[in-house]
Amino acid sequence: MNAVTTDSLAAERQAFTDLAKDISVKKLVENREEHDKYPFGELFADAIRDAGVVGFYGVNLPLDFGGVGMNTGMIAAILEQLSEADASLAGIVFTNAAALEILNAGAGSAKDASIFQSVKNLGSTPLAFPAYASPEEIQMPVMNKNGAGIFFGKINNLPLGDIADHAVIPARKEGENGFSYYLIDLSDKGVRKSKPIVSLGLHGCPAVDITVENVPAQLIGVQGKGGSYFRSMQDSMSVCAAAICTGVMRGSFNDALQYTADRYQGGRQIIDWGQVRMMLANMAIEVKVAESCLAAACREMNTAAPGWEKSAQAAAIHIGELANRVTSDGVQLFGGNGYMKDYPQEKRMRDAKQAQCLLGMTLLRKINYIAQIIEGK
Amino acid sequence: MKPWKIRKKDMLSLLLQGPKIWEAYNGLECQHRLPRSVHKEVKYAIALARKFNNEVLRPMYLDIDLKCMEDHDYLPWDFVKKAGEWKFYSLFLPKLFGGAGLNFLALYPFIEEISSVCSGLGHIIFVHYLGIATVFPSFNVRIINKVLRDVAKSEKEGNPRLLDLVITEPEAGTDVQEPLLIGRGRIGTIAKKVKGGYVINGRKIFISNGHLSYWHVVMCFEDRNNQGETFLQCVVPNGAKGFSFGTHEKKMGHLASTASDLIFEECFIPDRWLTMLLSDPKVKKSKKGSRWLFHTVIDYVVSSSRAGVGAIATGIGRGAYEIALEHARKNRVAGELLINHQWAQIILADMYRNVNVSRNVYMESAYTNMLSGLFKLLLKKPIHYFMKFLPKWYFTLISPLLRLKIATYLFRKYYFDWYTTEERDVSSGWASIAKYTCSDVGLANAGLALDLMGAEGLRHDNGAEKCFRDVKLQQIYESTNQINQMNLFCCLVGNHLPEVEFFK
Repeated sequence: MNAVTTDSLAAERQAFTDLAKDISVKKLVENREEHDKYPFGELFADAIRDAGVVGFYGVNLPLDFGGVGMNTGMIAAILEQLSEADASLAGIVFTNAAALEILNAGAGSAKDASIFQSVKNLGSTPLAFPAYASPEEIQMPVMNKNGAGIFFGKINNLPLGDIADHAVIPARKEGENGFSYYLIDLSDKGVRKSKPIVSLGLHGCPAVDITVENVPAQLIGVQGKGGSYFRSMQDSMSVCAAAICTGVMRGSFNDALQYTADRYQGGRQIIDWGQVRMMLANMAIEVKVAESCLAAACREMNTAAPGWEKSAQAAAIHIGELANRVTSDGVQLFGGNGYMKDYPQEKRMRDAKQAQCLLGMTLLRKINYIAQIIEGK
Repeated sequence: MKPWKIRKKDMLSLLLQGPKIWEAYNGLECQHRLPRSVHKEVKYAIALARKFNNEVLRPMYLDIDLKCMEDHDYLPWDFVKKAGEWKFYSLFLPKLFGGAGLNFLALYPFIEEISSVCSGLGHIIFVHYLGIATVFPSFNVRIINKVLRDVAKSEKEGNPRLLDLVITEPEAGTDVQEPLLIGRGRIGTIAKKVKGGYVINGRKIFISNGHLSYWHVVMCFEDRNNQGETFLQCVVPNGAKGFSFGTHEKKMGHLASTASDLIFEECFIPDRWLTMLLSDPKVKKSKKGSRWLFHTVIDYVVSSSRAGVGAIATGIGRGAYEIALEHARKNRVAGELLINHQWAQIILADMYRNVNVSRNVYMESAYTNMLSGLFKLLLKKPIHYFMKFLPKWYFTLISPLLRLKIATYLFRKYYFDWYTTEERDVSSGWASIAKYTCSDVGLANAGLALDLMGAEGLRHDNGAEKCFRDVKLQQIYESTNQINQMNLFCCLVGNHLPEVEFFK
């Protein structure tokens, strides 16, 4: 059972999780090793297209612009399902959804939805967005003095920068304290892209470094409000980050359970050794804790319960840490096979560590979390 | 008598009440016995490794890692030759066998240094010595002398011939490395006696350096139902009839060091390549029995190699720390240099602590190997100075004497007949402590480095993610950490408790 769908869901929600399951089984599991290869070749071409066709990139896009108009709880349900098989496609859906959340936040506060109209194919082609770093960690491009919306600088580690048409990126205006988010066209001649970055995990969702010079950019929302849009996005997308980690953990545990039943050492199935059972027990408990934690965070978010933001942030941080432990044990229980790419466990360990970094470095998120409590927010 | 005075007899009794000096204070016990030159040799080995890192390893290691990712068939022969030019494959071989004779204690810090830059490439050197540590415990001096002199000669000629250890099988990983489980293992590689030698059939997997080595030290069995008494060890050179390479694995990390499939199809091994045969009537006559001998041979190997795994893991953990430190000095987070955030400082302090605790643990295991493990003979001062000060040509001159059976007899007398189970337990137990402590701590450090570096840490070009991928292997090979926990329990926790049953 998907943790996020433990509530009784509307038929539409159930349909989305079924679709995610279908894609997981048909597109992801079978080609997992192929998708993970370096150098990057034909990345998930089918799976990426199918995810767009079934509407995964438009779940949190307003209905008026061809989206489904649901909240990120629905996306979390999809991501959890996808990640159980292979978290890379989940990384793509996550990146796009995070970009849309910035657009939603900007449109909401500016009472202006023109930004949606200027992006073609929104909802069927994913958007690029720097999902691995908070604005506090990165060097931002700077606005050019000579004209609004034209700027220069560099954005490191931009997931989907190579395959998306548009990107949502932060930039600073000279002389201003805050920053703003902008929408840019990645096919513009002023955009230069690096080769895909070789990363620890989520190889199917590659990032590039981009350099921008005199690129037209459309402001999202209100000038200087980038920080509050990011925090809003971080709150709502935390359940999605937690969902990816939960899915990866559950996949790791389920496969470990099966493998230890199949493998014999010391004259018996290794699942019958007490030490192995203890490790499986720890994994099972941590998976269950993650599922409960994620379900509770989603429930609070869906009902807009007071303080749901903190529950979502805490869930993302905690489940991210659990996922690292569980996936490492998942490799360990496979022994030498766990370290090999023929089996799914090593990829899960790398993906879990990579996914822990979604929405910014964990340590900074922790510091910001306690700051909210201390400041009574 | 004053209360602070202790009689000699009482002192001995008191020292036996708690952790014993020879079990728990290995460094202290070892250091006062070490010849002074060993200290100098350790410092030399560390300096040499650092020079090699600066001049050779740092400029190439990330490129080689990437090449291995891009092209699965790529094998780092250039590095193999380069390390040969630096004489690394014979550096720690005793002069008696044609090597440079650097003391084995120095091998472990040397390995840590190399691994602090790239454990994958460092592994190529380490596994070569693992092969040597595997052939040594047979104490078949004739073959050891032949193989190791060939190593030194081939290295000098610019075409180094490396050794590897061939033990793991598809259905028997833990089983073949744990003497207490061997009787229950599903062994697939069997040696059958034929005229003039043995024929081996089977497949060995996960053989580190398999494709890069020339001499393969193979461990197998004559009888799949009586493994403990029919253990057979031999050396198989490349080109032996019936021996071939299969594929090599696609791994998470340690990409430069291959994990190979080796295939034996009616592979004929002449008697002259047999290093040890437990079913040999002369070996069987040993008072301690075949099973004890098998257990001891395995423990000689793993006691020396697991300390080495500890050194590798320490090196990786140190590499992760050094990368994170440099990152923290140069990058700003929330408007401040990362290194000036107090929460970042305590993480860096923890990482530094981890490296040093880890180093102390593997060095304790190394000291134990000097005191009561494979290298104990080299710690004897007369032998040490004999090997150190006599010139190489002298050992070449006396080399033919090593073909005599008496040489093997004397080594085996010393290393088997005069060896005690207590010595074996201490060196094996400490090797397990080193192996699983250092690998756990190394993984913790690699994780902390990524936590501290955020998105930048996830990029291959920064090196930290490689540490994370590489260090995981240290928890798995040379028996998983879980088996090492059990071995520690067997050797030093439950060994003297009559009610305890192992692997029940």
